[in-house]
Amino acid sequence: MIHQYINNGYHIILDVNSGSVHAADALFYDVTAVLAGCVADMEKPRPLSAEEKAQVYERLSGKYRKEELDDALSDIQELIDAEELFTADVYKDYVVDFKKRQTVVKALCLHIAHDCNLTCRYCFAGEGEYHGRRAMMSFEVGKKALDFLIANSGNRVNLEVDFFGGEPLMNWDVVKKLVEYGRSQEKEHNKRFRFTLTTNGVLLNDEIMDFCNREMSNVVLSLDGRKEVNDRMRPFPNGSGSYDLIVPKFQKFAESRGDRDYFVRGTFTRNNLDFSKDVLHFADLGFKKLSIEPVVAPPEAPYSIREEDLPQILDEYDKLAKEFVKREKEGRGFRFFHFMIDLSQGPCVAKRLSGCGSGTEYLAVTPWGDLYPCHQFVGMEDFLLGNVDDGITNTKVRDEFKLCNVYAKEKCRDCFARFYCSGGCAANSYNFHGSITDAYDVGCEMQKKRIECAIMIKAALADA
Amino acid sequence: MKHATTLSSNTLKNSMKKGGCGECQTSCQSACKTSCTVGNQSCENRNR
Repeated sequence: MIHQYINNGYHIILDVNSGSVHAADALFYDVTAVLAGCVADMEKPRPLSAEEKAQVYERLSGKYRKEELDDALSDIQELIDAEELFTADVYKDYVVDFKKRQTVVKALCLHIAHDCNLTCRYCFAGEGEYHGRRAMMSFEVGKKALDFLIANSGNRVNLEVDFFGGEPLMNWDVVKKLVEYGRSQEKEHNKRFRFTLTTNGVLLNDEIMDFCNREMSNVVLSLDGRKEVNDRMRPFPNGSGSYDLIVPKFQKFAESRGDRDYFVRGTFTRNNLDFSKDVLHFADLGFKKLSIEPVVAPPEAPYSIREEDLPQILDEYDKLAKEFVKREKEGRGFRFFHFMIDLSQGPCVAKRLSGCGSGTEYLAVTPWGDLYPCHQFVGMEDFLLGNVDDGITNTKVRDEFKLCNVYAKEKCRDCFARFYCSGGCAANSYNFHGSITDAYDVGCEMQKKRIECAIMIKAALADA
Repeated sequence: MKHATTLSSNTLKNSMKKGGCGECQTSCQSACKTSCTVGNQSCENRNR
């Protein structure tokens, strides 16, 4: 399967099944487009046939000389022979084994506090409570969660624990004790914990920053961008904005992180479809590692992203990508989460097929110790998997998630992005279609554009 | 090769041979939490 597009003047060709990516000139691009219409995916390389070449001559003779077309055809044949163009999908058989696999748990999202000190208008957690009751996780429940993770992680060494909420700093003492407990178990069990924290920053102070800089491999700092954008959607309960309090704390925190990861992470809504300005605002504030995500909201919410918003949103990603390249070349670049792509040392195909691992490798734990497939399913009783005392008891739902891969999704089969997004977010799929094996179509369009931009950026930066 | 530059070669098929160790980061633990982005994760397989 071939996917080709022009972005920022770059002609990009993806051979989806091999993962090969080529930046081409217009001639090569045009010849490939003709061949893509008549050459079937190849299990093994073969020479292009006389009929296939004839199609190229017929369709492009008005635009290019025959010698030029032969030249491009020769290059294309070289890539076919290297199995980097017109390759077949050879992974379907792999998925059969995949269904039989024994999965292990390697990551937990600990809902350390179901309470929040902000009242963000779009909160999928219902202002921290997840449509349930306000609650804090006790150390005992958290300890059982870490024990459950160690016991169910098989031979995996790297274990991930995200302190999430609500707002986790509202239960900070338990966070510290759990980190201490986790560290005390590493040597005995040959495990390495990677702790991360997702915070709104309201309660951040020097002691917390110091602790995080020692113990947290990544911190996710929630902020939406420009002051008016942030304060409209992220107010305190009394209605006042949070920007002025949060930004100086986040600047200090980011600066102090050294080589440890952090991300300033925003949410954009229908209210700020010009969100590239918010990303650049982050960069102008001095932040280097940035992310902004489309809001996840029911269609009736006034701030939800709608299909008619897509042209503007896609254009914003293009604008952001151009500015990204420009700033990088000027020596004042930044990282944008969705433009990060590892073309050479990226994930293996097993990872790309299985996706985020929700419900199998990745689970969310509520303050009282219930297990859910991920943080977005918390509070949906049909998806309750078990608890930290008894482990996973609802194996029916667990097995549904186990089978959730790109080949289980009709919409993904012919999509060029399937090995990059791995079939998308199960929670988004469920929220919009009532099934975890469907796909959230508006989200797909944005994802595809982000991947195209990320690859264009690679081409632009390689083009000194 | 005069008309194209390869930015990434045949990485997916090769990764079938030694892939699947599972040591890599879970995507939602990084920064997204509301979408699924796997292509930007890095491989952490020491035997690759």
